[in-house]
Amino acid sequence: MKCNYCERTCDLAIGKSFCGMFQEEKGAVVERYPDKWSTYSASRVESVPFYHAYPGSRSMIIGTAGCNFRCRYCANGFIACQSPDHVQEVMYAFAPEKLVAMAQKLGCHNIIFNVNEPAVSLPSLLRVKKYAQKADIPMGCLTNGYTTEEATRMMAEIFSFVHVGLKGFSNEFYQKYVGIESIDPILRNINTFADLCHVEIASPVIEDVNYHELHEIAQFIHDINPSIPWHVFRLLPEHNMKGSLYPNIERMSLALDSSRKLLPYIYFHNFVGSDWVNTLCPHCTSAVINRFSLGCSGDRLDEFLAPDNTCPVCRTPIAMLGTKVAWDAKQAEKQNQGGQRL
Amino acid sequence: MSLAIIDAREWQNQFDLETGRKKQDNDPMVQMVCRVLSDTPYPGDVDEQANAWVTRTALDLMDAYHPDLVCLSYVQQFFANRHFDHPEDIREKSNGAAMAEARKFIQASGYTPVIVGTGGLVPLEGEMDLSGLDGLAICSNWSARYCGIHSPSSKDMAVIESLKSLGKIEAMVSKEEWITLFLSEQPDLDIPQDKGLMPDFLVAARQGLAFKTLGTTLRKPINIPENNFQIPVYTPLGTVEDLRDIKNLIRSNLGRHKIALILLEGVGLAHFPDNAFLCKNGVGFFCNEPGDAFYLTLSTGKHQVFAYPAGYRFFDQDAENIRFPFSGYMTSLPQNTLALDFPGKSIAVGNRSMFMHMVFGADIGIECFARNLFNQGCMAVVHDKSKYGPGPKGNMR
Repeated sequence: MKCNYCERTCDLAIGKSFCGMFQEEKGAVVERYPDKWSTYSASRVESVPFYHAYPGSRSMIIGTAGCNFRCRYCANGFIACQSPDHVQEVMYAFAPEKLVAMAQKLGCHNIIFNVNEPAVSLPSLLRVKKYAQKADIPMGCLTNGYTTEEATRMMAEIFSFVHVGLKGFSNEFYQKYVGIESIDPILRNINTFADLCHVEIASPVIEDVNYHELHEIAQFIHDINPSIPWHVFRLLPEHNMKGSLYPNIERMSLALDSSRKLLPYIYFHNFVGSDWVNTLCPHCTSAVINRFSLGCSGDRLDEFLAPDNTCPVCRTPIAMLGTKVAWDAKQAEKQNQGGQRL
Repeated sequence: MSLAIIDAREWQNQFDLETGRKKQDNDPMVQMVCRVLSDTPYPGDVDEQANAWVTRTALDLMDAYHPDLVCLSYVQQFFANRHFDHPEDIREKSNGAAMAEARKFIQASGYTPVIVGTGGLVPLEGEMDLSGLDGLAICSNWSARYCGIHSPSSKDMAVIESLKSLGKIEAMVSKEEWITLFLSEQPDLDIPQDKGLMPDFLVAARQGLAFKTLGTTLRKPINIPENNFQIPVYTPLGTVEDLRDIKNLIRSNLGRHKIALILLEGVGLAHFPDNAFLCKNGVGFFCNEPGDAFYLTLSTGKHQVFAYPAGYRFFDQDAENIRFPFSGYMTSLPQNTLALDFPGKSIAVGNRSMFMHMVFGADIGIECFARNLFNQGCMAVVHDKSKYGPGPKGNMR
């Protein structure tokens, strides 16, 4: 029997899946560690980073364990690239309704899966979605996009906003640095997500490795929809790439300048104090959202200057899922309903 | 206005420390600090050269600025031993290397040392998972020992009581009892934070155990701080009985000595010179873990357990437009710190990020900029340019 969640389509008759999260049981693909979570915390939506979905909102960040990729530079390798069997003692057990209740306790507007690949925990996430929907809590995720067509559609049902990692633009890159044969399913799925939900795309850049592919990536995104936000990440040499060069910020900035013509919502971050984290109006280039970056999941909203999602100068619409959400929106909601302080 | 200079390797930018807005300052002192930053890229929190980076950076800065007071922190051994499963001999070697690095600095600088250890680490024996409480359990500031409990149900209280009866929890106090405990030792205790966001109860684990809750780091620790109610100090300047007394000891000797206050995190008495002594760290059941409260208590001479309290609902205040965005939890410059109102020159250098530049109030601070061990580069903060000028003490290279 084959697992149909990711494009590895592992044969479960010969053992557990590559990610270590699925196995065959009585003719069905079942989760080995259902409803087990590696983290839960309250953070800013910009820290994920989502820049064009519910800006300013408070998100509950969750993750599980295991991944279908083996990126040589994985920043979360200590949890994502370990066998899930070996990290169970760090996991939290939350039934789906309890996880959603926790998001409410923390005053979160949304729930975002971002530690490892959500495809390895889709059945659990589908259950969470049921309760999140009832509680009017939207869900988002970061994904590597290497899912089957069926699983991709399932993800688009669970998540109303998705951040897809497009880590390079060649099979050679994915073969050497990620450990899969072909980029094609990822490109296919980005198109699917763009049809079905809000999409942002992230590309980690490694000096002298995928630097030359950036313009091709920009062109690919532009051809789907130029309004898709593109985040270029300055990759820190981590995991199995310690000792590699730190990407040069000046050179990267120069290289990305030309891509701005293709993609108005282009960002370059994962370094402290980046100049590239503000949203500019695609028409008049006025700053419409100012942010502050501390690198490594430290981004935050500074000023939202487009309260009706339009440029305050020329009234051009700014692509956005939802609009600005006050940090304490959920607490205020609860207090207005006469409830206790969360 | 204080200036922050970020160095992310081959790229520098300047910001107003309080607002985070970009700012350009071409003052010669700022230029000197920029040069020191670019000359000494940070190797990373757990890199074996991380402590040598502190020494090298401090000496380089001293060469140009000639401070009267130097505050240093050496933390590589704490990060490495907390997160990685090194054999005991390697752990001991890294603790010894930290002390050797401090000695190297003293020898090279000739400054009179005040060396303070935060105490040793012990293996993590187990964790108490309080994530399932009806209320909310929060560990913060990398704390292993303390957990704040918000709005507990009677069922939650029974869970805590049962852990207590098993000897896993040493103490459980209400917010009021916690405050009263510290007020009894320090009547002018400062509680700058919103008491409403403090936990209703604080619980303390017995040595070797940690809590597993909201705020627990994703990287599981291998070793955690001992319950260091006493911490080692070495100095030829005299003895003190309490961590809070070190500030006065230093300030009263600064006219006669150039002094280096050196913190060694995760290092206990065994690695200190023979004539080192122990001093008190905390009140009642509460001892400071390595972190901002320890640093602030040392620097201000007053208990600072409520500056950024354990178990605080810190995320409720994480909205936009925050002040001091480079300074972690801190949203204002701490007052009455060791160097803030000292008329002589001072610097602070260390591989503790986010609060080195705030807790000592030194004229210039240089620290690594790392988040959860990810190396983002370095940051310098120039608080006071007025002390820099031409002449024998102000020459730049």
